[in-house]
Amino acid sequence: MTEISLVDPALVPEVAAGLEPRGYWQGVGERLLRDRVTLAVAAVLAVIILLAVFAPWVATHDPLQGSVLRRLKPVGTPGYFLGTDETGRDIWSRLVYGARLSLICGITPVLFATMIGGALGLIAGISGRFVNMAVMRVVDVFYAFPSVLLAIAICGVIGAGIGNTILSLSVVFTPPIVRITESLTTQVKNRDFVEAARASAAPLLSIIRHQIVPNVLGGMLVYATSLVSISIILSAGLSFLGLGVTPPNPEWGLMLNALRQAIFVNPIVAALPGVAIVITSLCFNLLSDGLRSAMDIKLPA
Amino acid sequence: MIWNIQRAAMVATAALILAMPPVAAKAGGTLRIAMTASDVPTTTGAPDNGFEGLRFLGYPVYEGLLLWDLTRADKPAELRPGLAESWEQDKNDKTKWIFHLRHGVKFHDGSDFNADAVIWNLDRYFKPDAPQVDPTGGAFARARDPWIKSYRKIDDFTVEIGNPRPISYFPNALVYLFFSSPAQFQKAGSWVEFAKQPSGTGPFKITEFKPRVSVTLARNEQYWDKNRIPKLDKVVLFPMPEATTRLAALRSGQVDWIEVPPPDAVPSLKAAGFEIVTNSYPHTWPWVLNFGKPDSPWKDIRVRRALNYCTNREGLVTLLNGLAEPAYGIYHKTDPYFGHPKEQYTYDPDKAKALLKEAGYGPDKPVAAKVMISNSGSGQMLPLPMNEYLQQNLKECNFDISFDVVDWGTMLVATRNPPTAPQAHGVDAMNISLAHATEFSRFTTAFLTSTFAPNGFNWQHWSNPEFEALVSKIENSSDPEEIAADIRRAHEVIVDDAAWLFIVHDRNPRAMTKHVKGFTSAQSWFQDLTRVWME
Amino acid sequence: MAQFITLRLLHTILILFGVSVVTFGLIHLIPGNPLDILLPPEAPKEVVERLKVEFGFDKPLYLQYFAWLGRVVRGNLGTSVFTGLPVTGELFSALGNTLCLAVPAALVGFSLGTTFGTLAAFNYGRALDKLFSIITILGLSMPHYWLAIVLVIVLAVLWPILPAVGMGSGGGLPTSWEDARFLILPVVTLSMIPMGVIGRMVRSTVLEILSQEFPTALQAKGLRRRRIVWHVLKNAAPPAMAVMGLQLGYLLGGSILVETVFNWPGSGQFMNLAIFRRDIPVLQGTVLVLASFFVLINLAVDVAQALIDPRIRR
Repeated sequence: MTEISLVDPALVPEVAAGLEPRGYWQGVGERLLRDRVTLAVAAVLAVIILLAVFAPWVATHDPLQGSVLRRLKPVGTPGYFLGTDETGRDIWSRLVYGARLSLICGITPVLFATMIGGALGLIAGISGRFVNMAVMRVVDVFYAFPSVLLAIAICGVIGAGIGNTILSLSVVFTPPIVRITESLTTQVKNRDFVEAARASAAPLLSIIRHQIVPNVLGGMLVYATSLVSISIILSAGLSFLGLGVTPPNPEWGLMLNALRQAIFVNPIVAALPGVAIVITSLCFNLLSDGLRSAMDIKLPA
Repeated sequence: MIWNIQRAAMVATAALILAMPPVAAKAGGTLRIAMTASDVPTTTGAPDNGFEGLRFLGYPVYEGLLLWDLTRADKPAELRPGLAESWEQDKNDKTKWIFHLRHGVKFHDGSDFNADAVIWNLDRYFKPDAPQVDPTGGAFARARDPWIKSYRKIDDFTVEIGNPRPISYFPNALVYLFFSSPAQFQKAGSWVEFAKQPSGTGPFKITEFKPRVSVTLARNEQYWDKNRIPKLDKVVLFPMPEATTRLAALRSGQVDWIEVPPPDAVPSLKAAGFEIVTNSYPHTWPWVLNFGKPDSPWKDIRVRRALNYCTNREGLVTLLNGLAEPAYGIYHKTDPYFGHPKEQYTYDPDKAKALLKEAGYGPDKPVAAKVMISNSGSGQMLPLPMNEYLQQNLKECNFDISFDVVDWGTMLVATRNPPTAPQAHGVDAMNISLAHATEFSRFTTAFLTSTFAPNGFNWQHWSNPEFEALVSKIENSSDPEEIAADIRRAHEVIVDDAAWLFIVHDRNPRAMTKHVKGFTSAQSWFQDLTRVWME
Repeated sequence: MAQFITLRLLHTILILFGVSVVTFGLIHLIPGNPLDILLPPEAPKEVVERLKVEFGFDKPLYLQYFAWLGRVVRGNLGTSVFTGLPVTGELFSALGNTLCLAVPAALVGFSLGTTFGTLAAFNYGRALDKLFSIITILGLSMPHYWLAIVLVIVLAVLWPILPAVGMGSGGGLPTSWEDARFLILPVVTLSMIPMGVIGRMVRSTVLEILSQEFPTALQAKGLRRRRIVWHVLKNAAPPAMAVMGLQLGYLLGGSILVETVFNWPGSGQFMNLAIFRRDIPVLQGTVLVLASFFVLINLAVDVAQALIDPRIRR
């Protein structure tokens, strides 16, 4: 009979060895260290972050300095090993400096949205009808809102730039996170083990912490990390519309947009910022997959 | 056998004759054009979307009392008689102009063009209680032709128009005012309905209008100028604001002609067998300097001149792959109105630095200035890379330039308010490129005290008494030689005073397939589609 | 259930009211009035102000809002400042064009996403899991509008097998193979993000369920594999549906980026044009209609969730 393969017992050494399970988070850490793919991905991400932090030392040229005479040089040009962009600036230097802004544009809005949205979703999920209704309907108002309009309005008040991107994207991502969290929480809330915990008169906070959050966190984490790459893409879209990071600041999305006409002259150079975006997003998502597996494995009680 | 050969020869000859196109046929075809506009310009005779709207839904379909001569490529396009065959200034009252209308002109719906039609249209623009009033069209008319104070019919083919003061160049402004068919409006009932079945006097008529998608023009067989009846059967216009999309549409064969191809794609377009058509035209791309701001660095003329001497225009032209040319003034250097200004703004960073040193600036005290740039907009070329280039270029002479990037709407709002108003965001200059030198009436809208924003188009609040005196003299004169000399002198004043940073002139680039024949790029914002045909 | 739905419909009206007020406020925060943009730059302020009176833009904001509200209640969404055409007609035409893309993209994205996610979860830890995971992740890692530009260059310019721009003569409806060709590239582009998001959510949710006791219990009871999968999917459905509802909402709003690249006259382009031109009547009307769609979709998802999983008591 074909078995549905569940979690591979080989990854749970305690079970394999028949030993007593250790603490939850220690277990998470151990499982992570054994997951080669996740480790590799975490390493790549760490490299990217380090490159961003140490950009002034790693860059080979001034990211803002260009010359018309060396526009759109191909990969492998001496001195400019990844080529130059449409105004003659070194692509490698702009990529490492751009990592700073892109990572910030990718992570910060999702971070804010997850904290605020997660909290709201949890509250709405475990609360009674009235609170749930109030929260969810207000969220609906924001969800129904066109994000471009929001970005432009914010732009009109505080001007274009990275603050605009972070603020608009945070507002855009919060409603979906609230909805997903609320949906997950509502599902979990009505499960047997939660009922059991309530019946045993466990304090609410403890129920939330031990029963609900671990079950909700997995799904939320996955959704949130998929939002990181969407956040980078949307902030690129905002600069496409002239609302986000402004030139001449290096930012991967802005670079991608500026180079799109250069596809006809030097397609590989034009694709490089896109490659950076894809690699970073890939790493974030695979990392979150690894984290999720590490966190979600249920040890036999 | 001989009979067979003879027969074959006859058949072959007959076949050849039948296969040849008829001698007097109009070579026709359908021309598909992708415009940079983001929507189809209005079809009622007062097109929006700026000069591109006038180019495609203005002159091909509607006409004014004056028209452009778009047949020559070797000199800037001039004005010629249009729906008015001739005109003159009233000798006794220089504020009045008499126009003699052309006979035998019919609107597309078959009704006649005459003085009643002219008055009816002027009422549409300027009479608030007229039943056919068109407030939006009227606003356009007032913006482009602010000198119509009164008008009356003298007889069926003569009209008189009055100005608030004598203005010698007044007729020029009539080239922007179009006439729509009163009879068609009566049938339609409202301008919204008229827009669906429009009727003008031009060489093409609008036969199909799909909002946001396309508009189709067809040949007007009854056009009054028999030499300019279009060769094309149809022209289809598509709004396509994204440059790479236009490019893809051209390369994949979905359109035959695109406006403004991306400069980087030019070599590959040429290699793929497409034609790039460019020509000079009165389009200057400048930084308009703020004179109204109390702490403006441009108050010192040495700083302004240094700015002009420090600009490496040739480098920018290289960046644009030759789709622009250096600008040393508002008119082109080869334009008859350019004159002989003292300042010749070649690339001379040493001179620039010397001037700045005199003015008290240097490496330890750079000139700090913030420039407002837009990320798009009709006629703005490629503002982002071009300005980034300038920023670096000007750094060599110790100009410390920063940018305030806004969208086109925000920039337009700023221009309508004084340079010190909050809408201006405290910038020291604005990179806005409009058609100042199309003809002299446009020129005056931007440089007089009377047109200081918000009253007109002098956003920068530049003023110069010699210039004012010259304009006044030109307005009151009636001697064409004197007027031309004064216009040259007026231009010299602007150039020597460095009222702007003169950067480049656009070269009106278009890309088209080899099947588009007969197109001459006139030195104008507008083009003549009547001599074009598709092979 | 009926009571629940009625109550939610009443809420919908409240929400729409809230959305319209916020929109109205936001559009007026942005500098510029549609007439500033409509009229040529050389129009002096006096001419602009005079035209503003014609359109009623000189009245105080709250009066303008209530005038608009009054018209809406009577079914009139107003007319565009730029074209003079009624908002309702233009909006529904644009929405129709977007639907031609949104429906196929949703179908493709949702089905591929669910399939990939489920297959990945059931093959957890093995190569197939990694493969499907990477496919779904790529779906949401790649800037889709940029991919669109590349696809157009490869498939329409270099090897011209597909059209580069536009809807074709069929107006977007795939009434013939000729017309359907215009849909292929935009739909592929638009389905990438939904495929990625849903693929990942489904994988996560199914894994979550598989790690519970009941699938093993069902297996022990001797249920056939296919029935077990069905039970698992039923449990995975609610959060997956929540995400699908959100994605469908975004698709209906039209992707301005994709519609720009393909010159597709859909609701994204329509709204974006209105925002940039400050075409207030169009914007108010469009946001109202789109918001109603979003809210109604969410309501449908909530109802479906409750029907599928009776433990979700609402």
